[in-house]
Amino acid sequence: MDPLAIIVPFVPALAALLIFAVLRHSKPGAARLSVLATLVTFLLSLILLGNYVAVGLPRVEYIGQIWGSIWLDPLTLIMWAFVSGISLLVHMYSVRYMIEEPNYPRFFAMLDLMTATILFMVSAADLITLLVAWFLVGVLLYFLLGHDTDRPASGRYAFWTQITYRVGDLPLWLAAFILYKSYHSLALPVIFAQIAAAPNAVQIWGMTVPAWTGILVALAAFARSAQFLLHGWLPYTMDGPTPVSALMHAGIVNAGGFLFNRFAPIFEYTGLALHIAFVVGLITAVVGSALMLIQNDVKRSLGYSTMGQMGFMVMECGLGAFPLAVFHLIAHGFFKASLFLGAGNAIGDARANDGVPPDPIYVYIVERRPTKPLRLPWLTAAALTILVPVLVLSLSHFFVATHLFFEQGVIVLLFFAWVTGAQALFAAHKMTHTNPWQLMGGILGSFVLVVIGYTLISHYFARFLYSHEASLRLYASASIGILSYEVLMIILALLFVGGWVLTFFGDAQNLGERISQRWHGGYLAIYALLSRELYINDLYVRVTQLLLSASRRLNVWLRWS
Amino acid sequence: MEWIVLLLAAVLLPVFPLSWIFNRLIGSAPGPWGRALAILVLPQLGVLLLYHTGPLALLLLPLSLQRIWLMLVLFTSVFYAFRAVSAREISIWSRLMASSGLTLSWLLVANGAQVHSVALFVLALSLPAALLMIWAGMLSDRMGGAYLGLQGGLATVLPRLSALITLSALALVATPIFPSFFGLLQVFHRLDLAWLWPLLLLLLIWGWSAGRFLQDLLFGIYRGEPMVDLSLGITWIGAVVLFFFALSGLIWSGAWTGI
Repeated sequence: MDPLAIIVPFVPALAALLIFAVLRHSKPGAARLSVLATLVTFLLSLILLGNYVAVGLPRVEYIGQIWGSIWLDPLTLIMWAFVSGISLLVHMYSVRYMIEEPNYPRFFAMLDLMTATILFMVSAADLITLLVAWFLVGVLLYFLLGHDTDRPASGRYAFWTQITYRVGDLPLWLAAFILYKSYHSLALPVIFAQIAAAPNAVQIWGMTVPAWTGILVALAAFARSAQFLLHGWLPYTMDGPTPVSALMHAGIVNAGGFLFNRFAPIFEYTGLALHIAFVVGLITAVVGSALMLIQNDVKRSLGYSTMGQMGFMVMECGLGAFPLAVFHLIAHGFFKASLFLGAGNAIGDARANDGVPPDPIYVYIVERRPTKPLRLPWLTAAALTILVPVLVLSLSHFFVATHLFFEQGVIVLLFFAWVTGAQALFAAHKMTHTNPWQLMGGILGSFVLVVIGYTLISHYFARFLYSHEASLRLYASASIGILSYEVLMIILALLFVGGWVLTFFGDAQNLGERISQRWHGGYLAIYALLSRELYINDLYVRVTQLLLSASRRLNVWLRWS
Repeated sequence: MEWIVLLLAAVLLPVFPLSWIFNRLIGSAPGPWGRALAILVLPQLGVLLLYHTGPLALLLLPLSLQRIWLMLVLFTSVFYAFRAVSAREISIWSRLMASSGLTLSWLLVANGAQVHSVALFVLALSLPAALLMIWAGMLSDRMGGAYLGLQGGLATVLPRLSALITLSALALVATPIFPSFFGLLQVFHRLDLAWLWPLLLLLLIWGWSAGRFLQDLLFGIYRGEPMVDLSLGITWIGAVVLFFFALSGLIWSGAWTGI
């Protein structure tokens, strides 16, 4: 038994208990203990990760006899370092930010309990530990989001989160019991070994056990990671304290990506769940991004941005790029945490600057800048936008991991990276600058650096998390028929190239304004639909009211007995 | 004789429509302590009746009748949980929720669980319900009634009592690490996969019910008369009972899960 590994999740749990027991009335004492415990947890996580990189082999440590086991594999160690790192940032930020809030020590104790629970969740090596931690995250999040009990809104939205999480708990319960009853073991490594030995050996309700559990695990991940139709709670978590929003959006919401990776040995043998994940992730990414664009509240906008990012993360899993999803969730976690914690400054800046667009005459005469933006010719810009990303992305992948070019998932991801890169170049093209070639050159240089860095990091990350064979099996599992795939690729390529050419041409000819004038009614209808968040939350509220009314009538009829 | 035992047990380990009598019995017990005692004792009497009056009455029924009985049990559980969603009085909520949970003990009985196992399962649900009855009495002493939602923000004005009510409610709705969670795992463990679907619905409704209950208890601004919170001593006693209850869930989870 490795005591160093076992104490990691217990350090924040112990800090929480100490705060509840003896530091309930000491603000500085509670904050100091909490930050110190999280710092120790973070350092221990880094030591264990470093130790694993140097000499380690995956192993399971047992605390209890039936449950309570910890799986020290690369996924756990990376997630421990990530979770404790984010938690440390949030703790340090909260020390001053929450100082005037009531129940300051309780807040830190709850943060510590949440950190401990997430650490248990990501390291669970058996089904019961996973279920316990998975359940508890939802419960603790309810109390953290509802920290300010004076505001009924925070209670309402904490409840939305709690009930959506509960919806996500159910498929995981069923998946856990299907696995347990099929393989007669609670230990995840044992179950995965049995599945690898005979993936189609056990069938229930007309499908294999990996197929059923894959779908159920994917459903659980959808609820935790705010996928479309289960996303309504996410933007409203802003009603909780800002540090909790940061922890929520940077860490907790990523649980879906983690769950896909934890159950990756199952997804190696079931394609259906991955195809569902791809479609749901794609819809979520599009809807989340569209909703983000129309928000006028910076935090709500960040909330929908998280939804879009989660969609992209789930889509990556759907394409078989599991390690990329882990890399994505870590990168997203850190940048989203910094955005949330800096949102207050952005609001302050917005108050200082009125944001009124500059007057063209003033700009031309006083600032001596051209009123009409200097831009590259639209055809040149379109050619650069379309060709450069595809070249850079293809070459960087070609030099790093040539074999991946034969995987469908990688090609589809390259398409999306292509669109993203093209979007960056298009945004640069629309900027006003005295020297457009210099601007475009700068953007292209940054783009090349980002792509090479991203490709290298994601490649080495994948090698750390999965064996070469496991990676190939995941990509193969996510693949579709070759004919359908090639037709899809041709359609996508035509759509992307045609779309970008049309965009640049339309921008040069000012087509957008003419179209919006002609289709103003349709534009307004879409705007109204998006501004009401597609009426999804309204629908849920209405259904809830009807059910409540039925419950009340039953009680009256049965005289509350 | 078996039928009489079965019907009596269906009153004490409530199965619809006899669950109506169980709820009446609890509701008519004198005072909060009486209700707490009733909800602790009556289901245990039901277990004793089933296991100590000769052969298990349920298992003597033909298989088709056993299946109908178990379906009725699942219906009772979901039905009472659904009714609890709209309950606002704490002792009514807790007895409806307890009825919803206690009826599941039939599933253990039908699947060959040992007597101590069923008794522990029943205790895991009836103890938090009994505690809620007591807290409801204390709230009633202060407010004239234990209705939630009429006055918001009880967490601010009665933080100790609210904390105990919150923890007891969580213990009742099978929140980890309380024994009811592991008890529910045992029910899942003993049932065939095809029978698990209604239990998932039940878990969802319990979550919904608990969410609404806590929302009305904790959030909002209190605008009523000033109230005196629980004394430190009573709070400590309540906290220690709940702490050891949770600890027993953790330490003896094997006994509760039956795995």
